[in-house]
Amino acid sequence: MKYEAQPGALTWAINVAVTCLLLYLFERILWLVIPALLALVGYYCLKPLVQVLVRTGLKQRTAGKVVAIVLFLATCLAVIVLLSVATTRGTAWKAEAVHYLQGGLNFVRMTEASLQKRMPELKTSALVQSTPTDLNVATKQFVENYLGKLLLQAVSWLPSLLLMPYLTYALLQDGNRFKKHLIHSVPNAFFEKTLLLFNRVDGSLRSFLMGLIKLACLDTIFLGLGLWLLGISHPLLLGLMAAVLAWIPVLGSVVACLIVVIVAATDLPNDLVTTYCCILLFLCVRLLDDFVFMPLTVGRSLRIHPVLSVLMLFLGAEVAGPAGLCLVLPVLGLVAVVTEMLVQILGDEHLRKRYYHARQLERVTT
Amino acid sequence: MKLPWYFLRNSPEEERIRKLKGLGLFKELSVRELRELDELLHARSYQKDEVIFDEGDAGLGLFIVVSGRVRIVSSHAALKRLAPEFGPGDYFGELALFEESKRTGGALALEPTQVLALFRTEFFSLLERDRRIGVKILYELSRTVIARSRRLLASEAHLPTL
Repeated sequence: MKYEAQPGALTWAINVAVTCLLLYLFERILWLVIPALLALVGYYCLKPLVQVLVRTGLKQRTAGKVVAIVLFLATCLAVIVLLSVATTRGTAWKAEAVHYLQGGLNFVRMTEASLQKRMPELKTSALVQSTPTDLNVATKQFVENYLGKLLLQAVSWLPSLLLMPYLTYALLQDGNRFKKHLIHSVPNAFFEKTLLLFNRVDGSLRSFLMGLIKLACLDTIFLGLGLWLLGISHPLLLGLMAAVLAWIPVLGSVVACLIVVIVAATDLPNDLVTTYCCILLFLCVRLLDDFVFMPLTVGRSLRIHPVLSVLMLFLGAEVAGPAGLCLVLPVLGLVAVVTEMLVQILGDEHLRKRYYHARQLERVTT
Repeated sequence: MKLPWYFLRNSPEEERIRKLKGLGLFKELSVRELRELDELLHARSYQKDEVIFDEGDAGLGLFIVVSGRVRIVSSHAALKRLAPEFGPGDYFGELALFEESKRTGGALALEPTQVLALFRTEFFSLLERDRRIGVKILYELSRTVIARSRRLLASEAHLPTL
């Protein structure tokens, strides 16, 4: 049986401190971190395709180029299709959005009314009084106060998101070469262990990112199926949206649940039971996610204690806001792998002695 | 059959592939397979008297000698007696490719030496992707392991040869 030394309290304290520092830095360069992460996802998804092309006789770099060009063309095509659909159906979408918002507000009002019947003291509560009754006024307020800022933010993100295909291309073409160059610069004494470290980091990153994609697919299927059975419109689209939003821990799930409830309340305005069933379905899928799917897909890659995960979520949110919430667990997982290996490499007296011996030989030769 | 993009080859890579083809371990591999393997090989240079690995180290991969000479030093009686040396085209540390065990001997560069290292986990990922390459390499490896086992057994007077 193999025995591997577990990292101690000091190592974990260092891991947490380094993670917080990285999150602080990442928040400052979020414009680069987001496209880099998306590029990594693209790299791991497209790498098998590059390998297939290499097997047909193409060189690694040429295969990378071919796949990147296909990705670029597909992205352009998707943007063109999306823009043309948006321009032709823009007005209809706006009307639909207002319709769904109105449905959501009606649902809140109906729930309030039914609650007030049972608990009359709620009549004077702040929640009841703050619910807007006129959607047009609320929409106008939203447009005046927030829409401009939101649009400006979205536009400012466009150039950095365009980095994503370029970074994916660079990774596909030169990722392996870069890794080999980095390893080449490591002294001979630490070479094998460093190779192991690279392999573990690569494996952890791949299984985490691919795990997220698998998790999103499973969530989409189960939510879509459930919503379809309940008779809600666009079940697959809603399922996909909820699955992607679930990548943002805690907050994402709440937002996704709200959207599903709004759609359900609008589709079936007089059927409160179905809307509550949607909430129940959402809770069931979340439980399935946390206890079945997550350990099968993402969980295995991180090896972080659940209590520490929860604490780190709070710490991540405090240090770097919503971005910190999303990034804290993968960053902590990677930092843990790196420190564990660094402790093994640099703490090995045997390897250090070999390194100093090689240095001495080098001095004698020169 | 040559595909239309065959003409796009560049010379440094082809030179490397040609050298790989000349190594005994990879002689059965096609150019296409060598190209895939080339992505996994790590070139290292060692000075005279530099330790490549020690006896008892965790074995993580195999080393192929490109130039120079390497001697295996071990506390095991049979290996000590044989004190095998490896030159260009030879390879050592092959057992690390099969299992995660400690090295039975240490490797020392007798002169400035260049080696190529093939790491076990990377080799396994290649096996998962393309079993044909794996079969060809493993066949060559098993032939060498058998030959070395015979030599070891022959050096032990009280043991019969296989």
